[in-house]
Amino acid sequence: MAEPLIRIENVVKQYTRDTQVLTVLDGLSLEVEKGDFVALMGPSGSGKTTLLNLIAGIDRPTSGRILVGADEVSAMSEGALARWRSENVGFIFQLYNLVPVLTAFENVELPLLLTRLSKAERKKQAETALAVVALSDRLDHYPRQLSGGQEQRVAIARAIATDPALLVADEPTGDLDSKSGEEILVLLERLHSEFGKTIVMVTHDPKAAARAHRLVHLDKGVLKEDVRAKGEKGEIGVAAAAAIAAGR
Amino acid sequence: MKFVPYVFRSLFRKKTRSILTIVSIVLPFFVICVLGTLLMALDADTSGGKGMYRLVVRHKVSLGNAIPEAYRERIAQLPGVKDVTILNWFGGTYKDNRPENMFARFGCEPDQLLAIFDEVTIVNGTAADWTSDRSGALVGERLMKRYGWKLGDKFVLKGDYYPVNLELTVRAVFRGSDETGIYFDRKVVEEGLPAVKGQVGTFWIKADSAEAVQRLPRVVDALFENSSAPTKTETEKEFQNGFVSMLGNVRAIVTGISTAIGLVILLISANTMAMAARERVTEIAVLRTLGFGKPLILTLILAESLFLSATGAFVGLGLFRLAFPVLKEGLLNSPMAGFAAGMQLFPEVLLTGVGITLLVGLVAGIVPAIRSAQRSIPDGLRQVG
Repeated sequence: MAEPLIRIENVVKQYTRDTQVLTVLDGLSLEVEKGDFVALMGPSGSGKTTLLNLIAGIDRPTSGRILVGADEVSAMSEGALARWRSENVGFIFQLYNLVPVLTAFENVELPLLLTRLSKAERKKQAETALAVVALSDRLDHYPRQLSGGQEQRVAIARAIATDPALLVADEPTGDLDSKSGEEILVLLERLHSEFGKTIVMVTHDPKAAARAHRLVHLDKGVLKEDVRAKGEKGEIGVAAAAAIAAGR
Repeated sequence: MKFVPYVFRSLFRKKTRSILTIVSIVLPFFVICVLGTLLMALDADTSGGKGMYRLVVRHKVSLGNAIPEAYRERIAQLPGVKDVTILNWFGGTYKDNRPENMFARFGCEPDQLLAIFDEVTIVNGTAADWTSDRSGALVGERLMKRYGWKLGDKFVLKGDYYPVNLELTVRAVFRGSDETGIYFDRKVVEEGLPAVKGQVGTFWIKADSAEAVQRLPRVVDALFENSSAPTKTETEKEFQNGFVSMLGNVRAIVTGISTAIGLVILLISANTMAMAARERVTEIAVLRTLGFGKPLILTLILAESLFLSATGAFVGLGLFRLAFPVLKEGLLNSPMAGFAAGMQLFPEVLLTGVGITLLVGLVAGIVPAIRSAQRSIPDGLRQVG
């Protein structure tokens, strides 16, 4: 078995709304191996996006520990966490979240501005990332000049620009038509298989989940099912993902 | 520096709003500069330093009360007095009472006046032409242009406070700080109105040293303290400031208006920055997700606010510099010419204007910047819906 990249130990996440305490994750423990492609599924409110946020270090658990590699993410200061995110995690959002006043190139260059790279090095790295997502011909286009699928590809280029080990995706195909969604899934699969990225993806879509190698099903903040595809390069499969999503 | 393009692009993502905000900073900035310049002009020395040695003696009660001409000899004998002369306000009407026909009219001692006001130069005609003609007038260069007068032209001042009409002839033209006045021999008033003979409105003293300027007011006033016409002696600057104070507490009024304007800019900028930050809650959350720390987010938003106000300040500065000569020329041809004479582009006024605007930009940006930096990332991302 490969070494775990992510270790989630007995994590509880509670929110307080007025006087009510809402438990979103209830003592969850999970390990994700380096180079794995995991789909997180579950009904709305099951805690999958919260779990993704905790893994990515943009939220903190109420209790429990989260380790990514050798770093205990749950114990880091805010400043250290920001630095850690910029170096170790790439984010892909459902609504792409590109900066509308910046070109595709400038959007991809954004996370690189936080590094010590020279302007020329930043340019080279951003152009390489855009080449990976096949958008070398759209460097100077603004988000409004791109289709939804192209916007998401720019967002993926932004996520991989700093070459992080971990990619987290929150419903990456949720706002796309099926053709564009398929292109994005193929791209994610490529990032996983060719570039060795560890991917954790939240999705409602069995077709998207089917591309993952492991499917974790959450319900009411607890792990309900954890299924791994058979074989070295196996995928979960649409039927199995649909069945798990339906709770069968 | 590498974040400058992002700041600049963010600033103009709503071009119309940003331009309107800049305009709404430019206009108040312009007004602050005008008010500040007028305020500074009140204190400005327009005599090239020569006015520092001038003192004015008047009746202790008010300028409306006369003092005896006999004081002249006693004042002239005091140690430290270099020269002394008489200046009597005449008033009167030229043509009508419209503001454009208002200007200073003084009866004086022609052979003494230029010794006291030695920064004044005769630019047309000669001092002798003027002093040798009892009905001659020394006229300011600006006034000559206003009325299209030439040497030898005659004009009539219709008496009001002093009920005597004066027919005067332009004999010489002067250039000085206030070029909208006329000066004539006081004897022409006394000849037409014998009742005022021997009465003086003000004595003007030229002191021979800075020490004498300090000492003479006390000495002169002590000399006439127990007379029927006690005096008040003050420096030229104090005398002029007395006129300003007649307008009320000008400084307080101007400062009050400037403060109100500063607050208006603050509210406008704060509103713009709050709107800009509110519209970008998700974007800021995304930036933080990418690793932009709170201090950097704070800096970027403050930089936007500062850039906005700095643009407004520098556009306002440019406009003020362009408009200043026109403004000064307009005021110099108005009844405010005396105040406008000291107007110049005071660096302290311009720097204060820029400073206030930048400070306002900083203050306006702080609250939205802190709010944006403090908001939790998941909350910011959820704003998408």
